[in-house]
Amino acid sequence: MKKTLEIIWIVLIALTIFAYLLGYLKYIDSLLVSVLLISTFIKGALVIEHFMGLKNVQSKYRFIPTIWLTFVLSAIAVAYYL
Amino acid sequence: MSDIALTKEKYPPGDFGVWIIIYIELITFAMLFLGYAFSRRGDVELFNQSQLMLNQTSGFINTIILITSSYFVAKAVQSVTNMTQENYEEFNKKASKWLIFALMCGASFLVIKIFEFSHIFGEGINLSTNKFFMFYLLLTGFHFMHVMLGSIILFNIFQKTRRFGYTPEDTRGIESGASYWHMVDLLWIVLFPLIYIIR
Repeated sequence: MKKTLEIIWIVLIALTIFAYLLGYLKYIDSLLVSVLLISTFIKGALVIEHFMGLKNVQSKYRFIPTIWLTFVLSAIAVAYYL
Repeated sequence: MSDIALTKEKYPPGDFGVWIIIYIELITFAMLFLGYAFSRRGDVELFNQSQLMLNQTSGFINTIILITSSYFVAKAVQSVTNMTQENYEEFNKKASKWLIFALMCGASFLVIKIFEFSHIFGEGINLSTNKFFMFYLLLTGFHFMHVMLGSIILFNIFQKTRRFGYTPEDTRGIESGASYWHMVDLLWIVLFPLIYIIR
C-alpha cells in the first residue's frame, strides 16, 4: 500500500516546524515572509489535493480552493510589501 | 482525452451541499484574513507589539494537532472507500479507530485554545483593546466555533462507523464530514503564520 498520506503528513509537520522556528526571529524580512507564504501555499495545496481528495476530481472543482489559497496568500503578500 | 482525465471523478467527495458551505466559509475567512493584513499596514508597530503577547508555542502545537487530525480523518475515509460488501464491518471498525484519534485531536485543540483565551482575557484584553486583538479574537474565535462544529460532525460519523453504517454504496456522509474538517485545517494553516508568525 502506498504511504502517500503518511508522506504528506510528514511534509506538513516539517513545514510547520520551519514556520515556528521563523517565529523566534524578532523581525522577519521580506525574503523570509515570501518563503513563509510559499511554504504556507505548499501546505494548503497538499491538504486540498491529498486530504480533501481533490487530486482525483475534475479540474473546475479542484481549482476553486487552490485559486482561493493563491488569492489570499498573494493579497497578504501585497499587504506586507506595499 | 488522456487516461488520467478519464479516471477523474466528476464531483468532489461528499455531498455537493457541503461544498457550497465550504466555499462560503472560505470567502468569509478570506475577508477576515485580508482585513487583518491590510489593517496592519495602518499601524505595523502596534500589530507587531501585540503579536508578541501571543503564545506562539500554543499556536504551533495546535497547528500540529489539526494537521494530524486531518491525517487521521483522511485515513478513516481511505478505510471506508476501500471496503467491499464482504469486509465492510471490518473497514467500519478501522475507520472508527482513526476517528477516535481525530476526535482526541479536536478536543485537544479546543482545550489548548480555551487556555489561550483564558490567558488573553485574564490580561484584560478584549475586542476593544486594539485592532490587532479585535482581529485575533474574531478570527480565532470564529475558527474555534468551526472546530467545535467539526468535532460534533466527526462524533456523529464515528457513531455511524460503530454501527457499521457505511457500506460500499454509501460513503457520502463520512466524505462530507471529512471535507468540512479538512477545510477547518486549511483555514488554520493560513491563520497560523498570519496571526502568530509574520511580523
